Amino acid sequence: MTPDRSAEVFAALSDPTRRRLLDHLSRRGPASATELTDVVPISRQAVAKHLAVLEEAGLVAGERSGRERRFRLTPAPMSEAMSWMAAVGADWDERLDALRRHLRRR
Amino acid sequence: MDRVNRRIELPAPPAEVWSALTEGISEWFGAEADLRPERGSRATFRWPDGRERGAVVEAVEPERLLTFRWLPFERVSGGGTAMVGPGRVELAIAPSGRATVLSVTEWVAAPAREAEGALG
Repeated sequence: MTPDRSAEVFAALSDPTRRRLLDHLSRRGPASATELTDVVPISRQAVAKHLAVLEEAGLVAGERSGRERRFRLTPAPMSEAMSWMAAVGADWDERLDALRRHLRRR
Repeated sequence: MDRVNRRIELPAPPAEVWSALTEGISEWFGAEADLRPERGSRATFRWPDGRERGAVVEAVEPERLLTFRWLPFERVSGGGTAMVGPGRVELAIAPSGRATVLSVTEWVAAPAREAEGALG
């Protein structure tokens, strides 16, 4: 498990508009940037910029379909990032146990 | 979502906990580390499996706060170098009766304001 994509994934997820777009793709399936302007109150150009960030983080994949690309959710990086967070948490639980034992011995 | 938080009470006064967090870090961290509680100083953490990661100390308030930032790459056993995400660890302590409360936060991504120019 590598942590190297987590930063991009979390940065992508940190924006509420992008979370709204992911939510729509998750519930309703693939959509184009134009279709997604019905979902969030921003321009098509702004939607396209958000989709580019999501695509860069590996959270959506775009396919040419007619005149516009259609985007679908590819959630694997999200679960990888969550797994990574769980591993970091488990590491700290171990460390803090060790710290407690270390201090008891002094 | 992008951070891990833990908070525990430790059976020792702040001065002892501070010593364990700094000079004594290798005793409990799970890695050998040459950490010095000096702002701007570099530390190297070496895990038993041969993995190595660098860090830079960012904030030091004796017996209160120690923060360090992970450098965004690590050396793996076998000699290669892998890019990993930026990250930051904050260790804050405060007295609690005769004990000490330690709050740990590890950010897995750099906080937004640091996202630009996080290297170095």
